[in-house]
Amino acid sequence: MTGPLSPDQRSDAEPPGLPGFHTWRGVYLFVFGWFVLFVILLAAFGRHFS
Amino acid sequence: MNIADWVVFLGTLSGIAAYGSWRTRQIRSLNTYLKGRRSTGWGTIGLSVMATQASAVTFLSIPGQGFESGIGFVQNYFGLPLALIIVSGVFLPMYRRFGVYTAYEFLGRRFDWKTRLLGAGLFLLQRGFSAGVTIYAPAIILSTMLGWRLDLIIVFIGFLVIVYTVTGGSEAVSLTQKWQFAVISIGMVAAFIVLLIELPVGLGFDDALHIAGALGKLQAVDTSIDPGRRYTLWTGLLGGLFLALSYFGTDQSQVQRYLGGDSLRESRLGLMFNALLKIPMQFLILLLGALLFVFYQFERPPLFFNQPEWQRHAQGPERGAFSTLEQRHVVAVGDNEKAIRAWLQTRRSEDAALEPIARATMLEANRQTAAVRSEAKVALLAADPRAKTKDSDYVFITFILAKLPHGLIGLLIAVIFAAALNSLAAELTALSTTTTIDFWRYLRPLAAADEARNVRVARLFTALWGLAGVAFALLAGFAENLIEAVNIVGSIFYGVVLGIFLVAFFFRRVGGSAVFFAALAAQVLVVTMFLSLNIGYLWYNLIGCAACIAFSMLLRTVLGSRASTDPGRGA
Repeated sequence: MTGPLSPDQRSDAEPPGLPGFHTWRGVYLFVFGWFVLFVILLAAFGRHFS
Repeated sequence: MNIADWVVFLGTLSGIAAYGSWRTRQIRSLNTYLKGRRSTGWGTIGLSVMATQASAVTFLSIPGQGFESGIGFVQNYFGLPLALIIVSGVFLPMYRRFGVYTAYEFLGRRFDWKTRLLGAGLFLLQRGFSAGVTIYAPAIILSTMLGWRLDLIIVFIGFLVIVYTVTGGSEAVSLTQKWQFAVISIGMVAAFIVLLIELPVGLGFDDALHIAGALGKLQAVDTSIDPGRRYTLWTGLLGGLFLALSYFGTDQSQVQRYLGGDSLRESRLGLMFNALLKIPMQFLILLLGALLFVFYQFERPPLFFNQPEWQRHAQGPERGAFSTLEQRHVVAVGDNEKAIRAWLQTRRSEDAALEPIARATMLEANRQTAAVRSEAKVALLAADPRAKTKDSDYVFITFILAKLPHGLIGLLIAVIFAAALNSLAAELTALSTTTTIDFWRYLRPLAAADEARNVRVARLFTALWGLAGVAFALLAGFAENLIEAVNIVGSIFYGVVLGIFLVAFFFRRVGGSAVFFAALAAQVLVVTMFLSLNIGYLWYNLIGCAACIAFSMLLRTVLGSRASTDPGRGA
């Protein structure tokens, strides 16, 4: 990349600031885990009521 | 609708529009006008992203989809959380690092001016047309069911949106979206509660779910690899990922929603808010449709939910055939209800011997009802080959008008209008921002220093795009094929635009000329395939994207690594 960097670049390292999460990787893993859990729950929901 | 409905309907919509205009009337800064205030928090960003995607058709068509085909449509959204993680981790930091107003401005920084104008031009072409559809699609359904004049509905929606988006730009869009989404949530929860109350006496929520499940409406996850199936886990993960990535990552109407805000953190949290809640929200709307299906097993539904369309033909020369179908439908629905009640009885008594027999009888009775509905559609087409036979979009609005108490009817009509305003407002500000920043300011670099003039120009473009959307919606009434044409045009261009952005982010050695000519070649390939082959147009998203990336890699070896970058004009 070229060109001067804006002050926003400094915020790249900004932590998520959520209780229990120190990095964005942790947040993404949580979101992904929630997605997998929800898909499993949906599958179980369909099976239970079929 | 009675006076209470009108008061709720007009009060809600005009109140929110007036509030948005009033709160943002003094905006003089281009940055605030195009990106919103710096103090915008993640909650507002998250709701704004969600509201932009949830158009009026979401609240009209998706319950109908649940009614007709069950909740399997939820799989279409399975790629969305993954796409939002990629956008949050890769796309968003780049956009913020360069402090851009538009996604295409970033292409100028990364590649060169011609790639930037190509990306911006493709966006304007595609989104400009779809703004008209955003107005037209709900307007035609409401016009049909409420008997209101179509042109007046279109002008009303257009007028409201133009007033507050011209006044307050992106700031007004975020502000109004928050309140409009609150109205939508309250309205949908109220409709859900009324539906549960309206279920027959003695039929609990658990029974209703078992009926929906037994009749095949609750299969949410389908792991089949049969390519003939439209909604499966795999099409949702793969197709949904590409679609969501191009929509959230490269479409300015979404990019603009999360570019504002105080920091990268607020934007990221806003996206993660959507990654967590979007699938549950779609599931609940689809479940509402599945429960509407159960409701109409005990209360005789119209044979065809678009009743004005049905009545138009039922009074014609084929009235005998239509009348016979209606009589058969009454009998089939009666038999169906008896069969369901008999099955429920065996289920409750835990009679393992009788339950399978009762279930088979119920399934057969349900098939008979569905067969009469199919015959009705065939009869409509026989009477008029141009008749509209898709009636699932009319299921929810039929329930609203027939079963909701006055006041709530007005609120639910306001919900549908609010959803249309949400999407349209985001589209107009995105179109205006792209026209101002990527074209007007780029072509008039000296004007960039005059802040007040920039805001005036952005306001003018917002109004012009709003008027163009209204004009297109009015025109669509005379040529409905335009709507399908817009969807096709979108699929033809979306893939190539996503390809350009993926090259920008992941293939750092590819330069501007290579990606520009690769995009042109990929576009020519897609258009040629579209004109000569007969494949589903959604596939062009994937083909365009893959071709753009492959051609870029090939051309890199011919033209060499990246050379030119945008000098930064208008940035």
